[in-house]
Amino acid sequence: MAIKTLELIRKRLAERPEEIAKARREGQKVVGWQGYNIPEEIIYALGLIPVRIGVGGDDRLVEIGARYISTKNCVFVRETVGLFAENKDPYIQNTDFLAFDATCLQTYRTAEILEYYFNKEVIILGVPRNFYWPEAKVYFTKEVEYFTKRLEEQTGTKLDNQVLADTIALYDRIREAIVTIYQYQAATANYLSWEETYDLIHAGYYLDRREYLSLLEQVLSELREKQGQPVIEVTEDEARIFISGSVIPPGDKKLISIINEVGGRIVGDDLWSGLIPYLEVKIPENSLQGLAVGYLNRTPHGALPYLDLDTDQRIKRLKELIKTFKAQGVIYHTLRYCDPYTFKAKETKDILQKVGIPLLEIHTEYAGSDFEAIRTRVEAFVEMIRNKHYEEVAV
Amino acid sequence: MSNVSAFAGVDVGSLGTKTVILVDGEIAGYSILRTGINTEENGLNGLETALENAGLKREDLKYIVATGYGRISAPYANKTVTEITCHAKGAHYLHPQTRTIIDMGGQDCKAIRLDEDGNVTDFAMNDKCAAGTGRFLEVMANVFKVSLDELGPLSLQATEVLPVSSTCTVFAESETVSLLARGEKPENIIIGIHHAIANRVGGMFSRVGVESDVFFSGGVAKNIGMRKALEDALKVKIVEPERDPQLVGAIGAAVIAQNSWKRGK
Repeated sequence: MAIKTLELIRKRLAERPEEIAKARREGQKVVGWQGYNIPEEIIYALGLIPVRIGVGGDDRLVEIGARYISTKNCVFVRETVGLFAENKDPYIQNTDFLAFDATCLQTYRTAEILEYYFNKEVIILGVPRNFYWPEAKVYFTKEVEYFTKRLEEQTGTKLDNQVLADTIALYDRIREAIVTIYQYQAATANYLSWEETYDLIHAGYYLDRREYLSLLEQVLSELREKQGQPVIEVTEDEARIFISGSVIPPGDKKLISIINEVGGRIVGDDLWSGLIPYLEVKIPENSLQGLAVGYLNRTPHGALPYLDLDTDQRIKRLKELIKTFKAQGVIYHTLRYCDPYTFKAKETKDILQKVGIPLLEIHTEYAGSDFEAIRTRVEAFVEMIRNKHYEEVAV
Repeated sequence: MSNVSAFAGVDVGSLGTKTVILVDGEIAGYSILRTGINTEENGLNGLETALENAGLKREDLKYIVATGYGRISAPYANKTVTEITCHAKGAHYLHPQTRTIIDMGGQDCKAIRLDEDGNVTDFAMNDKCAAGTGRFLEVMANVFKVSLDELGPLSLQATEVLPVSSTCTVFAESETVSLLARGEKPENIIIGIHHAIANRVGGMFSRVGVESDVFFSGGVAKNIGMRKALEDALKVKIVEPERDPQLVGAIGAAVIAQNSWKRGK
């Protein structure tokens, strides 16, 4: 869709592994991290290179990972272990130590496996099970402080308050840019697809964050020039799809390709590998406690149990995003053995049904054997949305 | 130029290729053929046979809709539509009061909910395994050395329902062989197999709900034992179809063909 900066981003991504390897040779350290609640600002402010690790969509790596953990563990986790077992990915090769959080317990336990089999140094960040309790703030602040202490020990550097404040400001601008770009991709006359926007988010897992912000702002500048202010409206023949559920990491293109192939248009998501981590991060002060509170302000991850549906922030946010992006249906993607999201599928479906939004459950893994079966489901869902739209227009 | 306005629906399934020709909204001809390895050829053969059966020629066809897993290789069709949408339209055509469909085909099983106009409102499909499908029953028929058509009537002769715990084709086959070796009566095992499938299908309906009238479509719907087991499991009365239930998808495709032609799409 002719946003020139995208080509530059692809070029920079191709160059990045060698750049990181060079930085390491010159003494800089690289932290590979995985999770939802790691305050990456701290890693960056300590002069470390943060790389968000984990890819999907490669069944071969899943099989390799399954030599170390059960085939009943989620495929994303198995592929992460496979990445370390194979040790060919340049980002994995260039990781000095790892940081994992305890949001998703399968991800958390993966850290144990990586330590046990591959002798990786892992720093764990504890996460409260319930974000809504006042005690959560106290607990998470202490965890963030301890996490910082461990990072300081690794680097031999003390966290500088001014550098932290500058880094928080940088990350706030990144978050703001991503949220604005999402408005553009969902607009009626869009020059950037959701898929390109999603890739743009994933580029931020690897690129230096200052350069990343500059690239995002270039993308925004191009979009403003081409589109003006984004206007989001439903047009005839569109089937506007919102994706929710389990992680869809870099490399996992199966469901996304199918939706595009059958004529659906993805307009939004609340994936933890997508938009949701960038929303509602209100950091009240430039301190570790401020960061902890800011992260607790976000929509809690689906892996954290919460039983009161009426006050569940995750459901509230989902409904708001569907409205913002004018989505007509939700595809709820669950990975095999990603239990938290699988458990929540039916309740989410029932809640959305009450507001007239259909939900299609897609339960899958990285093998290609269910490709056609998923295509039939998604195609039928797109047909269903289109038929409903025709009827509404006719009425 | 032909002055007949005929419309075709071609449903290329994994086991059977079904074709229906509609003229003036009525079924003028149809065919059911065993699906071979060449998907496109299956559809074309089905089309030719159904046309011959209707006494029509290819040029009489104004619009063709292909459905089923073979729809992706149907260059002869004007449009392709999923079997889920087609089954809804087909069941609505045959029985307009239909609000729920159980479709059991050769390689999958679907629970479909529809509105008063035959539009899909919700659906669920079985996971990627053969449980609850025609292929599963074929394997079981083979174990008992009977034809697929005999399974249903045999199940009605049962004196008790032997629980068959597995719905995995491979495990169920091994469980069945063990039960036979133990000296159990085949009909009691066969009814157990039907009940195991029906209970599994019942799980899909917990996702979409059941509302009467309930229509049973697909090749497996010809099996009287399966129909009875589903009625027991879902606690519903399934409507008696006026036409071969295996044709429902093709009928729906033909109805969509007719509507699309009228709308100029």
